[in-house]
Amino acid sequence: MAASIWCLAGRSLLGGLGNSSLGVLRMSSELTRSDLLFQQTRTFIQMGTNLKVVDNSGAKRVKCIQALKSKKGARLGDIIVASVQEINPAKEVKKGFMSSTVKKGAVVHAVVVRAAMPRGRCDGSQIKFDDNACVLVKYVGGEYEPIGKRVHGPVPHELRKKKHVKILSLAGHVA
Amino acid sequence: MRLEKCWFCSSTVYPGHGIQFVRNDAKIFRFCRSKCHKNFKMKRNPRKVKWTKAYRRLHGKDMTQDTTFEFERKRNRPERYDRNLAENTLKAIKKIVKVRADRESNHIKNRMKGNKSAERKRDAKELEQSIHMVKAPLTLEKDPSYTLPKIQEKVHLRSEENRMEE
Repeated sequence: MAASIWCLAGRSLLGGLGNSSLGVLRMSSELTRSDLLFQQTRTFIQMGTNLKVVDNSGAKRVKCIQALKSKKGARLGDIIVASVQEINPAKEVKKGFMSSTVKKGAVVHAVVVRAAMPRGRCDGSQIKFDDNACVLVKYVGGEYEPIGKRVHGPVPHELRKKKHVKILSLAGHVA
Repeated sequence: MRLEKCWFCSSTVYPGHGIQFVRNDAKIFRFCRSKCHKNFKMKRNPRKVKWTKAYRRLHGKDMTQDTTFEFERKRNRPERYDRNLAENTLKAIKKIVKVRADRESNHIKNRMKGNKSAERKRDAKELEQSIHMVKAPLTLEKDPSYTLPKIQEKVHLRSEENRMEE
Protein backbone atom coordinates (compact mmCIF):
# COMPACT_ATOMS: atom_id res chain seq x y z
CA MET A 1 0.00 0.00 0.00
CA ALA A 2 2.76 2.37 0.99
CA ALA A 3 4.65 1.40 -2.14
CA SER A 4 1.70 2.38 -4.32
CA ILE A 5 1.45 5.81 -2.67
CA TRP A 6 5.20 6.22 -3.22
CA CYS A 7 4.58 5.20 -6.80
CA LEU A 8 1.93 7.91 -7.25
CA ALA A 9 4.23 10.51 -5.69
CA GLY A 10 7.08 9.28 -7.85
CA ARG A 11 4.89 9.51 -10.90
CA SER A 12 4.04 13.14 -10.34
CA LEU A 13 7.76 13.89 -9.92
CA LEU A 14 8.58 11.88 -12.98
CA GLY A 15 5.71 13.43 -14.89
CA GLY A 16 7.96 16.33 -15.75
CA LEU A 17 10.66 14.08 -17.14
CA GLY A 18 10.07 12.62 -20.52
CA ASN A 19 10.47 9.06 -21.69
CA SER A 20 14.00 9.76 -22.87
CA SER A 21 15.41 10.30 -19.42
CA LEU A 22 13.78 7.12 -18.20
CA GLY A 23 15.61 5.27 -20.94
CA VAL A 24 18.90 6.80 -19.84
CA LEU A 25 18.27 5.80 -16.23
CA ARG A 26 17.67 2.20 -17.18
CA MET A 27 21.01 1.32 -18.78
CA SER A 28 21.56 -2.23 -17.54
CA SER A 29 19.31 -4.99 -18.74
CA GLU A 30 18.67 -6.31 -15.24
CA LEU A 31 15.59 -5.10 -13.42
CA THR A 32 16.45 -3.80 -9.98
CA ARG A 33 13.91 -2.74 -7.40
CA SER A 34 14.27 0.89 -8.42
CA ASP A 35 13.59 -0.18 -12.01
CA LEU A 36 10.31 -1.72 -10.95
CA LEU A 37 9.34 1.60 -9.45
CA PHE A 38 10.35 3.42 -12.63
CA GLN A 39 8.12 1.18 -14.74
CA GLN A 40 5.15 3.37 -14.23
CA THR A 41 1.89 1.70 -13.41
CA ARG A 42 -0.39 3.93 -15.41
CA THR A 43 -3.75 4.58 -13.79
CA PHE A 44 -6.91 6.51 -14.39
CA ILE A 45 -7.33 10.18 -15.06
CA GLN A 46 -8.55 11.56 -11.78
CA MET A 47 -8.87 14.79 -9.88
CA GLY A 48 -5.68 16.76 -10.31
CA THR A 49 -4.52 15.09 -13.52
CA ASN A 50 -3.11 17.49 -16.06
CA LEU A 51 -4.11 16.85 -19.64
CA LYS A 52 -2.98 18.30 -22.88
CA VAL A 53 -5.62 19.92 -25.04
CA VAL A 54 -5.39 18.86 -28.67
CA ASP A 55 -8.01 20.93 -30.38
CA ASN A 56 -7.92 24.53 -31.42
CA SER A 57 -10.31 25.87 -28.82
CA GLY A 58 -7.50 27.97 -27.37
CA ALA A 59 -6.73 26.10 -24.17
CA LYS A 60 -3.37 24.37 -23.80
CA ARG A 61 -3.44 22.59 -20.47
CA VAL A 62 -6.37 21.51 -18.41
CA LYS A 63 -6.62 19.99 -14.96
CA CYS A 64 -9.22 17.35 -14.25
CA ILE A 65 -11.68 18.21 -11.52
CA GLN A 66 -14.03 15.30 -11.76
CA ALA A 67 -14.23 12.13 -13.80
CA LEU A 68 -17.85 11.61 -14.70
CA LYS A 69 -19.29 8.10 -14.60
CA SER A 70 -16.62 6.45 -12.50
CA LYS A 71 -15.47 6.58 -8.92
CA LYS A 72 -11.97 5.42 -9.83
CA GLY A 73 -11.33 7.81 -12.63
CA ALA A 74 -11.64 8.41 -16.33
CA ARG A 75 -10.19 6.20 -19.00
CA LEU A 76 -9.75 6.46 -22.72
CA GLY A 77 -12.92 7.87 -24.26
CA ASP A 78 -14.56 9.08 -21.07
CA ILE A 79 -15.77 12.55 -20.26
CA ILE A 80 -14.29 14.67 -17.51
CA VAL A 81 -14.96 18.02 -15.94
CA ALA A 82 -11.84 20.14 -16.03
CA SER A 83 -10.48 23.54 -15.16
CA VAL A 84 -8.45 25.42 -17.74
CA GLN A 85 -4.91 25.97 -16.50
CA GLU A 86 -3.12 27.40 -19.49
CA ILE A 87 -4.30 28.98 -22.70
CA ASN A 88 -2.58 29.77 -25.94
CA PRO A 89 -1.32 33.35 -25.80
CA ALA A 90 -3.33 35.77 -27.96
CA LYS A 91 -0.26 36.59 -30.10
CA GLU A 92 -0.18 33.05 -31.48
CA VAL A 93 -3.26 33.53 -33.61
CA LYS A 94 -2.23 31.67 -36.77
CA LYS A 95 -4.29 30.20 -39.53
CA GLY A 96 -6.29 27.35 -37.99
CA PHE A 97 -5.93 28.72 -34.46
CA MET A 98 -8.81 30.74 -33.09
CA SER A 99 -8.04 33.27 -30.43
CA SER A 100 -9.01 31.58 -27.25
CA THR A 101 -12.71 31.04 -26.70
CA VAL A 102 -12.05 29.73 -23.22
CA LYS A 103 -10.68 31.76 -20.38
CA LYS A 104 -8.13 30.65 -17.84
CA GLY A 105 -9.83 29.15 -14.84
CA ALA A 106 -12.98 28.29 -16.73
CA VAL A 107 -14.69 25.02 -15.92
CA VAL A 108 -15.25 22.94 -19.04
CA HIS A 109 -16.14 19.42 -20.04
CA ALA A 110 -13.64 17.39 -22.01
CA VAL A 111 -13.36 14.02 -23.71
CA VAL A 112 -10.21 12.01 -23.10
CA VAL A 113 -8.79 11.14 -26.50
CA ARG A 114 -5.39 9.82 -25.48
CA ALA A 115 -4.58 8.05 -22.26
CA ALA A 116 -1.31 6.53 -21.12
CA MET A 117 -3.23 3.79 -19.31
CA PRO A 118 -3.75 0.71 -21.49
CA ARG A 119 -7.35 0.06 -22.44
CA GLY A 120 -8.65 -3.32 -23.49
CA ARG A 121 -10.14 -3.67 -26.92
CA CYS A 122 -12.98 -6.05 -27.74
CA ASP A 123 -10.60 -8.35 -29.65
CA GLY A 124 -8.56 -8.84 -26.49
CA SER A 125 -5.57 -6.65 -27.28
CA GLN A 126 -4.55 -3.57 -25.33
CA ILE A 127 -3.95 -0.10 -26.67
CA LYS A 128 -2.15 2.77 -25.04
CA PHE A 129 -0.88 6.18 -26.02
CA ASP A 130 2.12 8.26 -25.19
CA ASP A 131 0.42 10.96 -23.14
CA ASN A 132 -2.89 12.14 -21.68
CA ALA A 133 -4.83 14.40 -23.99
CA CYS A 134 -8.35 15.68 -24.26
CA VAL A 135 -10.69 17.62 -26.49
CA LEU A 136 -12.92 20.28 -24.95
CA VAL A 137 -16.63 19.73 -25.46
CA LYS A 138 -19.86 21.48 -24.65
CA TYR A 139 -23.00 19.78 -23.45
CA VAL A 140 -25.55 20.92 -26.01
CA GLY A 141 -29.04 19.43 -26.16
CA GLY A 142 -28.20 16.06 -24.65
CA GLU A 143 -25.04 15.56 -26.74
CA TYR A 144 -21.44 16.53 -26.26
CA GLU A 145 -20.11 18.61 -29.12
CA PRO A 146 -16.53 19.72 -29.55
CA ILE A 147 -15.81 23.41 -29.08
CA GLY A 148 -12.84 23.48 -31.44
CA LYS A 149 -12.73 22.95 -35.17
CA ARG A 150 -9.57 20.84 -35.50
CA VAL A 151 -8.06 17.93 -33.61
CA HIS A 152 -4.34 17.18 -33.60
CA GLY A 153 -2.70 13.81 -33.25
CA PRO A 154 -4.18 10.32 -33.24
CA VAL A 155 -7.50 9.42 -31.61
CA PRO A 156 -8.83 5.98 -30.76
CA HIS A 157 -11.71 3.99 -32.22
CA GLU A 158 -13.36 3.95 -28.83
CA LEU A 159 -14.88 7.35 -29.54
CA ARG A 160 -17.24 5.84 -32.07
CA LYS A 161 -18.91 3.69 -29.48
CA LYS A 162 -19.20 6.66 -27.16
CA LYS A 163 -20.93 8.58 -29.94
CA HIS A 164 -18.23 11.23 -30.38
CA VAL A 165 -18.47 10.91 -34.13
CA LYS A 166 -17.73 14.58 -34.75
CA ILE A 167 -14.33 14.33 -33.06
CA LEU A 168 -13.50 11.26 -35.15
CA SER A 169 -14.31 13.13 -38.33
CA LEU A 170 -12.11 16.06 -37.28
CA ALA A 171 -9.20 13.82 -36.36
CA GLY A 172 -6.13 13.41 -38.54
CA HIS A 173 -5.46 9.81 -37.63
CA VAL A 174 -7.73 7.24 -36.05
CA ALA A 175 -5.76 4.60 -34.16
CA MET B 1 -9.66 -9.99 -38.05
CA ARG B 2 -6.10 -9.30 -39.04
CA LEU B 3 -2.90 -11.04 -38.08
CA GLU B 4 -0.35 -8.35 -37.34
CA LYS B 5 3.42 -8.53 -37.04
CA CYS B 6 5.17 -7.70 -33.82
CA TRP B 7 7.28 -4.60 -34.34
CA PHE B 8 10.18 -5.95 -32.36
CA CYS B 9 10.52 -9.64 -33.13
CA SER B 10 8.36 -9.89 -36.30
CA SER B 11 6.32 -12.80 -35.05
CA THR B 12 2.57 -12.84 -35.75
CA VAL B 13 0.30 -11.27 -33.19
CA TYR B 14 -2.94 -13.23 -33.01
CA PRO B 15 -6.16 -11.59 -31.83
CA GLY B 16 -6.34 -11.37 -28.06
CA HIS B 17 -2.62 -11.04 -27.62
CA GLY B 18 -0.25 -8.20 -27.18
CA ILE B 19 -0.22 -4.48 -26.68
CA GLN B 20 -0.58 -1.69 -29.22
CA PHE B 21 1.27 1.50 -28.48
CA VAL B 22 0.26 4.59 -30.41
CA ARG B 23 2.87 7.30 -30.49
CA ASN B 24 1.89 10.94 -30.83
CA ASP B 25 3.01 11.03 -34.45
CA ALA B 26 0.31 8.38 -35.04
CA LYS B 27 2.78 5.56 -35.62
CA ILE B 28 1.40 2.33 -34.17
CA PHE B 29 3.75 -0.19 -32.60
CA ARG B 30 2.37 -3.65 -32.01
CA PHE B 31 4.03 -6.10 -29.68
CA CYS B 32 3.35 -9.79 -29.39
CA ARG B 33 4.29 -10.07 -25.73
CA SER B 34 5.68 -8.11 -22.84
CA LYS B 35 9.22 -9.25 -23.62
CA CYS B 36 9.19 -7.31 -26.87
CA HIS B 37 7.33 -4.43 -25.26
CA LYS B 38 9.88 -4.11 -22.46
CA ASN B 39 12.76 -4.25 -24.91
CA PHE B 40 11.11 -1.46 -26.87
CA LYS B 41 10.73 0.63 -23.75
CA MET B 42 14.43 0.08 -23.08
CA LYS B 43 14.98 1.65 -26.49
CA ARG B 44 16.77 -1.37 -27.89
CA ASN B 45 17.23 -1.56 -31.60
CA PRO B 46 15.72 -4.84 -32.88
CA ARG B 47 18.39 -4.97 -35.54
CA LYS B 48 20.96 -5.46 -32.79
CA VAL B 49 19.04 -7.92 -30.67
CA LYS B 50 20.05 -11.39 -31.68
CA TRP B 51 16.83 -13.35 -31.36
CA THR B 52 14.71 -11.06 -33.52
CA LYS B 53 13.87 -11.68 -37.15
CA ALA B 54 15.19 -8.23 -38.02
CA TYR B 55 18.68 -9.17 -36.80
CA ARG B 56 18.59 -12.54 -38.52
CA ARG B 57 17.56 -11.10 -41.84
CA LEU B 58 20.09 -8.31 -41.61
CA HIS B 59 22.95 -10.69 -40.84
CA GLY B 60 21.98 -13.24 -43.49
CA LYS B 61 21.01 -15.93 -41.02
CA ASP B 62 17.52 -16.25 -42.48
CA MET B 63 16.28 -16.12 -46.04
CA THR B 64 15.47 -12.60 -47.19
CA GLN B 65 14.70 -12.65 -50.90
CA ASP B 66 12.26 -15.22 -52.12
CA THR B 67 9.21 -15.34 -54.34
CA THR B 68 7.09 -16.82 -51.56
CA PHE B 69 7.30 -13.50 -49.72
CA GLU B 70 5.66 -11.74 -52.65
CA PHE B 71 2.36 -13.42 -51.88
CA GLU B 72 2.13 -11.78 -48.51
CA ARG B 73 2.64 -8.14 -49.46
CA LYS B 74 0.10 -5.75 -47.97
CA ARG B 75 -2.29 -4.67 -50.67
CA ASN B 76 -4.49 -1.72 -49.87
CA ARG B 77 -7.08 -2.49 -52.50
CA PRO B 78 -9.81 -4.76 -51.13
CA GLU B 79 -10.69 -7.64 -53.41
CA ARG B 80 -14.29 -8.25 -54.39
CA TYR B 81 -15.46 -11.40 -52.67
CA ASP B 82 -15.42 -14.45 -54.90
CA ARG B 83 -16.05 -17.81 -53.31
CA ASN B 84 -13.80 -19.72 -55.68
CA LEU B 85 -11.00 -17.25 -55.21
CA ALA B 86 -11.30 -17.49 -51.44
CA GLU B 87 -11.25 -21.29 -51.56
CA ASN B 88 -8.22 -21.40 -53.84
CA THR B 89 -6.41 -18.85 -51.72
CA LEU B 90 -6.91 -20.93 -48.60
CA LYS B 91 -5.53 -24.01 -50.33
CA ALA B 92 -2.64 -22.01 -51.71
CA ILE B 93 -1.75 -20.56 -48.30
CA LYS B 94 -1.04 -24.03 -46.95
CA LYS B 95 1.18 -24.92 -49.86
CA ILE B 96 3.05 -21.63 -49.84
CA VAL B 97 3.76 -21.92 -46.14
CA LYS B 98 5.16 -25.42 -46.65
CA VAL B 99 7.32 -24.32 -49.58
CA ARG B 100 8.63 -21.36 -47.68
CA ALA B 101 9.48 -23.46 -44.63
CA ASP B 102 11.38 -25.91 -46.84
CA ARG B 103 13.31 -23.14 -48.51
CA GLU B 104 14.18 -21.53 -45.20
CA SER B 105 15.50 -24.77 -43.72
CA ASN B 106 17.53 -25.29 -46.90
CA HIS B 107 18.99 -21.85 -46.55
CA ILE B 108 20.07 -22.62 -42.99
CA LYS B 109 21.44 -26.01 -44.02
CA ASN B 110 23.50 -24.44 -46.77
CA ARG B 111 24.80 -21.89 -44.35
CA MET B 112 25.95 -24.64 -41.97
CA LYS B 113 27.43 -26.75 -44.76
CA GLY B 114 31.18 -26.38 -44.32
CA ASN B 115 30.96 -26.84 -40.59
CA LYS B 116 31.60 -30.55 -40.19
CA SER B 117 34.61 -30.74 -42.48
CA ALA B 118 36.07 -27.57 -40.96
CA GLU B 119 35.61 -29.10 -37.53
CA ARG B 120 37.33 -32.29 -38.54
CA LYS B 121 40.25 -30.38 -39.96
CA ARG B 122 40.60 -28.39 -36.78
CA ASP B 123 40.45 -31.50 -34.64
CA ALA B 124 43.08 -33.25 -36.77
CA LYS B 125 45.38 -30.28 -36.45
CA GLU B 126 44.87 -30.14 -32.70
CA LEU B 127 45.65 -33.84 -32.42
CA GLU B 128 48.82 -33.39 -34.39
CA GLN B 129 50.01 -30.43 -32.37
CA SER B 130 48.95 -31.33 -28.86
CA ILE B 131 49.35 -35.10 -28.73
CA HIS B 132 52.03 -34.57 -26.09
CA MET B 133 49.30 -33.54 -23.66
CA VAL B 134 47.85 -37.03 -23.51
CA LYS B 135 50.62 -39.33 -24.67
CA ALA B 136 54.11 -39.36 -23.27
CA PRO B 137 56.86 -38.67 -25.85
CA LEU B 138 58.57 -42.01 -25.14
CA THR B 139 55.44 -44.00 -25.95
CA LEU B 140 55.01 -41.79 -29.00
CA GLU B 141 58.45 -42.82 -30.25
CA LYS B 142 57.66 -46.48 -29.67
CA ASP B 143 54.22 -46.29 -31.18
CA PRO B 144 54.03 -43.34 -33.57
CA SER B 145 50.27 -43.39 -34.11
CA TYR B 146 47.84 -40.87 -32.63
CA THR B 147 45.96 -43.47 -30.64
CA LEU B 148 46.54 -44.14 -26.96
CA PRO B 149 47.95 -47.54 -25.88
CA LYS B 150 45.50 -50.05 -24.55
CA ILE B 151 45.80 -50.63 -20.83
CA GLN B 152 45.05 -54.10 -19.51
CA GLU B 153 43.63 -54.48 -16.03
CA LYS B 154 43.09 -57.64 -14.07
CA VAL B 155 39.48 -58.15 -13.07
CA HIS B 156 38.94 -60.50 -10.14
CA LEU B 157 35.78 -62.54 -9.96
CA ARG B 158 34.61 -62.05 -6.39
CA SER B 159 30.91 -62.66 -6.96
CA GLU B 160 30.74 -65.85 -4.81
CA GLU B 161 32.35 -64.17 -1.85
CA ASN B 162 29.99 -61.16 -2.15
CA ARG B 163 26.99 -63.45 -2.12
CA MET B 164 28.24 -65.15 0.98
CA GLU B 165 28.76 -61.75 2.68
CA GLU B 166 25.13 -60.90 2.09
